[in-house]
Formats: sequence, C-alpha cells, structure tokens
Amino acid sequence: MNTAEKLDDPVPDHSEELASREDNAIPLREVIAMAEKVTSALKPLVRSLDKSMYRELRDMLNCIEELRGDLSKVDPDDIFSRRIPEMGRELSAIVSATEVATNSIMNIAEQVMDADKSDPEAYAKFVEQHMLAIFEACTFQDLTGQRVTRVIQTVEVIEERIGVLCRMIENNQITPNAPKISETEKRNRARLVKGPANKGEGIDQDAVDAMF
Amino acid sequence: MQLNRNMRILIVDDYATMLRILRNLLKQLGFENVHEASDGQAALKQFETNKYDLVISDWNMEPMTGFDLLRAVRANPETDATKFIMITAESATENVIAAKRAGVNNYIIKPFTSEILQGKIETVFEQQVA
Repeated sequence: MNTAEKLDDPVPDHSEELASREDNAIPLREVIAMAEKVTSALKPLVRSLDKSMYRELRDMLNCIEELRGDLSKVDPDDIFSRRIPEMGRELSAIVSATEVATNSIMNIAEQVMDADKSDPEAYAKFVEQHMLAIFEACTFQDLTGQRVTRVIQTVEVIEERIGVLCRMIENNQITPNAPKISETEKRNRARLVKGPANKGEGIDQDAVDAMF
Repeated sequence: MQLNRNMRILIVDDYATMLRILRNLLKQLGFENVHEASDGQAALKQFETNKYDLVISDWNMEPMTGFDLLRAVRANPETDATKFIMITAESATENVIAAKRAGVNNYIIKPFTSEILQGKIETVFEQQVA
C-alpha cells in the first residue's frame, strides 16, 4: 500500500517555521493544535489500514476454509482404515479362489490322465463325469469377476480423491516432493523384476525366438 | 548331451501350482525324471548333491531369482554345461537380453503351451548337437 496516497489531507509541514523561532519556546496550545492536526490527518490512513488488514485476514480464512473442505473430501481415514484393507481382502480372496479352482481342475486332469483306458466305454463315462467336475470348478470365474469389479470401484474412489489432492496442490502452487522409491521397488529394479507385461507392452514369444 | 527322455530335469518355481503344471506337461512329453526346487537357493542346494541335464526355471522368485540361479550355474565349472531354459512372465526386452548374455539357452514367456515347451527343449539339445 502507498501511504502517501491514503492521506486525503496531508499533515502541514511546520518544521521550518519552528526552527526559525528564536525563543525555542513553543506554547502548549500550539503543540496540542499540531497534534490534533496530525491525528486528524492520520485517521483515513488508519481506517484504510484496518480495512485492508481485515480483507487480507478474510481471504486467508476463506482459503483455509476451502482447503478444509477439500481435505474433508479426501477423507484419508476412509481410504486407509476401510477401502484399502477391503481391497486387500478382495484380492486375497481372488488369489485363494483361483488357487482352489486350479488345484481342483489339475486333480481332475491327473485322474483322467492316470485312468485305466483298457475298457473304452468305462473310460468314456469316467472322462465325461470328470469333465462336468471341471465345469463346476470353473464357476470360480463368476465370483472372482464380482470381486474384481469391487476392487475396480475402490480404485476409482481413491483415484477421484487423489484428483482432489492434485487440484489442491496445483491451486496452491505447492511443489510436491519427489515420490520415494520403496525398498521393494529398488530391490525389484536391481533384480530386473517387472512382472507380467500388459497387452501391447513387452515382447512376445516370436520376438524372443528371433533373438535366439 | 543329446535329447534323452530319461535325462534329469530340475524345475524351479516358487508356485507349487506351476511346478505341478510343469511336471504334468513334462510327463506328457515323456520326461519322467523330473525334480523340483522352490527358488534359486533351493536349486543350488540340490546341485551340491545332484547333477542335472536341464534346468527349467522361473525368473521372479524369493529369495533367489532364476536370473541369479542362471549366473550361479554358469559360474560353476561343474554345472556350467547344464542346459537352462527360463520360463517367465518377464517379457521386457532387456530381461531377455540380460538372460541371453548370462548364458540362458532359451526363453519362454508365460503363458505357454506344451508345444512351445517341447519345441524349446528340442531346440536347446539340437543346439548342442550342432
């Protein structure tokens, strides 16, 4: 703020007049009159300072309220105490279900492979019965599909909330710290472990064969 | 060594299901002399008292990867001639190049078929004959 601009009636400068007086004695009346002039000249400035400080504080308060509102949308408690553990349980259940189904199917396949083939009719009946058991074991796909859908929904909620955080960071011009690389990630990089590639990534068996 | 249905094969994978699948596939292909290890370290332990003609190993295992097992096998003069096939989901080009440089004989990307497995085993032993 430019102080000079706020003063409607600047304080008159009596310094030269006072300095030229030979008696050095200034009557109290004159001192009081000058003080009154100074006070009345400063009043608009003090008022404008009050207003601008109030505006600044109001803006800060609004900003804090807005941040609080955005943070409440992120709801980290809900993410960490409910959604992520739930997602972990769903994924564990998927792993268990696929393992149980795979073992059931392999048991059946091994029984078929080891079956006595000397009586073709009995063997055909045996195989047919076991094929039905394979179909039954394949019903795991329906359940795991539903669990995967729930995991996807949770990921979408987390994605949305991370989006809120990102917007807060952008709006407030906060420079985020570089993400830390976890110990597991560091170790996997050293061991060249990336896991299965997604469709369109990595190379296929034909490309590998060409390299050998 | 030429392809021999009675050769000693060591299959290495930390998933019991995968070991079971491999054992059954190899059995169907006529290989019955199949031994198992759950990771690179366990495989090396078995190498201390056994000889193998072929190792079929996964890459991503704890505590010792198939890649480290491959390097260990190649670094030991007693085992360096063992044929080594990697069967893995690691399909990044740099992984294949790294494995080739470390001396892998062939590389199969999961999921795979019994035909691919059979073809690779035959190729690996043809390479030696040639």
